[in-house]
Amino acid sequence: MTSSNLERALSLSINIQLSFEQLGFEKFNLNIKQDLSLQGITGIFGHSGSGKSTLLRAIAGLEKEIDGTILLNDTRLIDSKDKCFLKAEQRNIGLVFQDSRLFPHLTVLDNLKFAAKRCQNRRLNFNEIIKLTELENLLPKHVNELSGGQKQRVALTRAILAEPKLLLLDEPLSALDRQAKTRLLKLMLNIQNKLQLPMLYVSHSLDELQQVCDKLLVLSQGVVVGYDGIHSMIHQLNYTQLNNAQTNNLIHQQTSLSLPIKTLNNGHGLSILTLNEHDEIYLPALHEKTTAKTLRCFILANDISISLTEPINSSIVNHLFAKISTISTINNQVLVTALCEKVDEEQAFFINISAFSQQKLALKINQAIYLQFKASAVRTYLY
Amino acid sequence: MINPDLLALLTTLKMAALTTIILLLISTPIAWYLAKMQNRFKVIIEAIVALPLVLPPTVLGFYLLIAFSPQYFPGQLWQQATGQQLAFSFSAIVIGSVLYSMPFVVQPLQKAFEQLGEPLLEAGAMLGAGTIDRFCNIVFPITKASFITAASLGFAHTVGEFGVILMIGGNIPGETRVLSIALFDHVEAFDYAKAHILSISLLAGSMVLLASIYLLNSPRKKAIKRADK
Repeated sequence: MTSSNLERALSLSINIQLSFEQLGFEKFNLNIKQDLSLQGITGIFGHSGSGKSTLLRAIAGLEKEIDGTILLNDTRLIDSKDKCFLKAEQRNIGLVFQDSRLFPHLTVLDNLKFAAKRCQNRRLNFNEIIKLTELENLLPKHVNELSGGQKQRVALTRAILAEPKLLLLDEPLSALDRQAKTRLLKLMLNIQNKLQLPMLYVSHSLDELQQVCDKLLVLSQGVVVGYDGIHSMIHQLNYTQLNNAQTNNLIHQQTSLSLPIKTLNNGHGLSILTLNEHDEIYLPALHEKTTAKTLRCFILANDISISLTEPINSSIVNHLFAKISTISTINNQVLVTALCEKVDEEQAFFINISAFSQQKLALKINQAIYLQFKASAVRTYLY
Repeated sequence: MINPDLLALLTTLKMAALTTIILLLISTPIAWYLAKMQNRFKVIIEAIVALPLVLPPTVLGFYLLIAFSPQYFPGQLWQQATGQQLAFSFSAIVIGSVLYSMPFVVQPLQKAFEQLGEPLLEAGAMLGAGTIDRFCNIVFPITKASFITAASLGFAHTVGEFGVILMIGGNIPGETRVLSIALFDHVEAFDYAKAHILSISLLAGSMVLLASIYLLNSPRKKAIKRADK
């Protein structure tokens, strides 16, 4: 499994407009101009109707009525001026659909072989991939006998065996239960680590995207809202939706962070993450078999409160010393951003308080405060 | 000298087999485009294909007879190309049967293609399968039952054809004298014994053919097949 030639980032340059009318819906316009550098997993987030699936289908070659250009590295996938349209089957791009779309007349093994057979210059070892995706026992089964999670695992494996240079995932988890979701997300991370296959992952669930994506592209009503590293993009959304009707209620305001795991279980049912030399963050104990060194987690802005003195006599286990950097007020809601020391940089925390509390505490920029939140407010999806 | 009724049977089988093969070859693309088409011409083409279902066979036969005669273009073209007259030939009754039985082949295929839809074809394309590859390895295996139904209905309907053949084929032994015509001859000659034999064998043959299609396509059989695996 060599990956040397895949380690360079793929550049995907999108400049497209398309509009279509669906019966019973308003006319929908998609207008996207964005250059993406695809390495690792890039998330595409937006609510239903934001155009994220349509964008993915345009990249895949399944949407044909498009004006504009899409370039993948130097290959023109679409250039409407020259009437250039590279067919889906010639793009060497994989797509995992929401509804697995396994071939019903074939067994699991034959579905996988369908992909492997059509792959030009095969580099992956068929059996190694089956082992990686834990499909050994399902191979002889008919696809109708599989559960939803198993179907998606087969669909993901089938897409990988075609050895695409870019893998698109269109809400692959939305029909699954929580357990199947986490299993598939872990598998995606594992595959990404082993094969270095760039992925574009569309979802309307920020929790899922936050766990696995390196970068995040956010769409709303057919246009790009932003594109940045996962944590900073989520933090930008905290602000943009304050002032922008279009992105209103896009996400729950939150602090998104990755921290090193210090202890899996402190003996009292809590795990400990390291924030800086003095400060640690406690959260409910992670699974004891967790091998990850760092953890991605998020804390909702509504779950953090502010105290002017150190709350030592409290059952709330997490209290951090911080300095206020911004205060924005909209409609009786105040969003406070406070910075904490972190090992190599500063970590921003986002806190929602009521205008009433703000009046009481009279918070000011640069004021030193204590943030407090319960261990259970630190949320993670995978472990 | 071969028995004239046996000769009629051979002619019938030859005509029906050839018609079925030609029908499958031309109906598949027609059904495919009809299933994918979304503009208003679709209705017109559908109506044209379905016409033989409602039209008296003699009407179709009458127009074909005129078209096949050497005075008109299709018949003229055929005569120039083959040196033989088209009307009252074996070729004429095959062409007539193809038109006459077309709806029985196009309609089941169109329905199957519509039901299949785009999802699995898109999945195939994303795995690198081109158009022909997708048809042979996804569409055909999944809609195989409809192909069997279409072929059997086309075959059976061609065997049972009378009016069109009478108009454009006449009654030439070994060339255009098929079973249904032979039967008509026996009845006209009051030879009811021979008419009975032909009728009962046509009846039984059609029954066996239809029963086997339904058996082949029945859900119970499929369920058993799956349990075996």
